[in-house]
Amino acid sequence: MTREAVIEKLNEIFRDVFDDESIEVTDEMTAEDIEDWDSLTHLTMISEVESAFGMRFKMKDISTMKNVGEMIAIICASTN
Amino acid sequence: MLFADLFFLFLFLPLCLTAYFSSKNVKWRNLVLIVFSLVFYAWGEPFYVLLLILSVVINYLLGRVIGSPSASQTKKKAAVLGAVITDLALLGVFKYSGFLVENLNLILPVDLPVPAIRLPIGISFYTFQAISYVVDVYWERTEMQKSFWKFLLYISMFPQLIAGPIVRYTDIAAEIDERHASVDDIYAGMIRVICGLAKKVVIANSLSTVVEGIFAGPMTLLAAWTGAAVFALQVYFDFSGYSDFAIGLGRIFGFHFNENFNYPFVSTTIGEFWQRWHISLGSFFRDYLLMIPIFGKRRGYLNLFIVWFCTGLWHGASWNFILWGVYFGLFILAESLIGKKKLKRVPRPLMHIYTKLVLIVGFGIFYFEDIGALGTFFGGLVGVGGLYNKLTMNVIVNNCFLIAAAILLSLPVLSYLRRKLPAESRTLVICESVCCVVLLFLSATMLVNATNNPFLYFRW
Repeated sequence: MTREAVIEKLNEIFRDVFDDESIEVTDEMTAEDIEDWDSLTHLTMISEVESAFGMRFKMKDISTMKNVGEMIAIICASTN
Repeated sequence: MLFADLFFLFLFLPLCLTAYFSSKNVKWRNLVLIVFSLVFYAWGEPFYVLLLILSVVINYLLGRVIGSPSASQTKKKAAVLGAVITDLALLGVFKYSGFLVENLNLILPVDLPVPAIRLPIGISFYTFQAISYVVDVYWERTEMQKSFWKFLLYISMFPQLIAGPIVRYTDIAAEIDERHASVDDIYAGMIRVICGLAKKVVIANSLSTVVEGIFAGPMTLLAAWTGAAVFALQVYFDFSGYSDFAIGLGRIFGFHFNENFNYPFVSTTIGEFWQRWHISLGSFFRDYLLMIPIFGKRRGYLNLFIVWFCTGLWHGASWNFILWGVYFGLFILAESLIGKKKLKRVPRPLMHIYTKLVLIVGFGIFYFEDIGALGTFFGGLVGVGGLYNKLTMNVIVNNCFLIAAAILLSLPVLSYLRRKLPAESRTLVICESVCCVVLLFLSATMLVNATNNPFLYFRW
C-alpha cells in the first residue's frame, strides 16, 4: 500500500473516531492537535486502524510512537 | 520513618544533607543516598527491607538480560514477563492475599485461613517503579542499568519511596550518573519541602480532625456531603503535601521529578481531574496497561474497565476502593463517549458543579471501607438520615475559616498572585523565606503537640 493510500484511509478513520470532518492527518500531528483525542479515543483509533489495515501494532510501537508520521511508517512497514 | 515526623525533620534529614553535601563526587553522594534510604526504610520495616532488596535484585538481574545486546528476542520476552509476573506476585502476596482469601471464603464452600500479612510500606510505589523500568528497557525506551548500586538507588531513594510519586527510570536515569544542584535548585527545593510539610501538618491533619468530627455524628444530608467534601480536601493536602516534599527533596539533591498534582479541583470534567490528580499513577496505567490487548485481538472498553478496576484496587485491598475506581471509570467513559467538543458547549459553572458533586461522592466511597457504613453514607447523601443536626453544624461553623482557607489554597490562587509579581523581585524572595520559616516553625510546633497525624498510605 502506498503512503498516500495509507494517509487517505487514516483521514477517514481519524474523522470518524475523533468526530471532526475537517481533520487532515500530517506527519507532525499529535494528540495535542485534535480536541477529542484522549486515551480512550486513542484506544478506539488504534483498534480501527488495526482492523482497517489488517495489521497489529506491537505494544512497544503503541507506547513509543511520537506522532502520526511514526504511525504511518509502522503501518507502511507492516502492510508492504 | 515518615516525613512529617520530628525525628526525621530535625535529625535524619540534617544528617543526610550534611553527609550528602560533604561528599565530593556523585559516586559518594549516591552511596550516601543509598545508605540513608535503606536506614529510612528499615526504621519502619526492619524485616521488609529485605523484601525491597530482593525485589531490586530480581529486577536488576532480569533487566540485565532484557537489555543485553546478545540476548535473543525470546529470551528478552521471557525475562520481561518473568520480572513483571514476579513483581505482581510479590504485590499480590503481600497486599492482596488476605483480601483474596476472605472473598474466596465468601463465595466458595471453603474456610481457608486468612493469612495475616502486614502490608510492607511503599510496596505499591516501588513495585510500579520496577515494572516501569523492566518494560521500558524491553521496549528500548532506555538502556539497562549496568550498576546494581545505581539501580538500587533508583528504587530505594527515600524521598519518593513510601508515598510516591512513581518516578520513571527514564526521567532520572541521566541524573543518577551526573547531576548538579544549583543554589536556585536548593532554594526552590527547600521552599517546596516546607510547603509540603505545612500542607500535611498544618492543613491536612487539622482537616482530618474535622472529618472525624463530622462523621462521628449522625449521617445527615449535611454531614454526608460536607464530610466527604472536607475529606477530599484532606486527602489532597496530605497527598500533594507528600509529593511536594518528595519533589522538593529530590530537587535539593539535584533530581527533577515530574509533578504529581496540578490543582485537581479546578477540573471541569472527571477526565481532567485524573490528569491533574496523582498524575504519576494515571500515566503509569495509561502507558503500561491501557493499550495491552488483554482478551482477544481488539482493544476496547474492557481495557478501560480493567484500568479503573486496577486503579481502585491499587489504593487498597477492599471492595470500596474497587467500587471507587470503577465509579470514576464510568464517568470517564461517559465523558469520552459524549466527546470534549460537546462538553465544551455546556456552561462552565454547570460542569464545575457536576465535577465537584461526582468527586465528593467519590471521596465518600474512598473513605468508607466498611460496606455497611458506605450504605449509610449513600443514604445520607439523599437525606435518609435527616437534613442536618446541631453537632455537625457546630463542627462546620467552628472550622469554617480552616475549610475556607483549604478551599482557597487548593485552587491556584497563590501561583496566580506570584505570576502577577515581578519574577526577580527581592522583596518577594524575602517574603517567601520569612513565610517558610514561619511555616516550618508552625509545623514543628504542631508536630510536637500532634494528637492526630495519620499516615493515609498504609494501604497503598
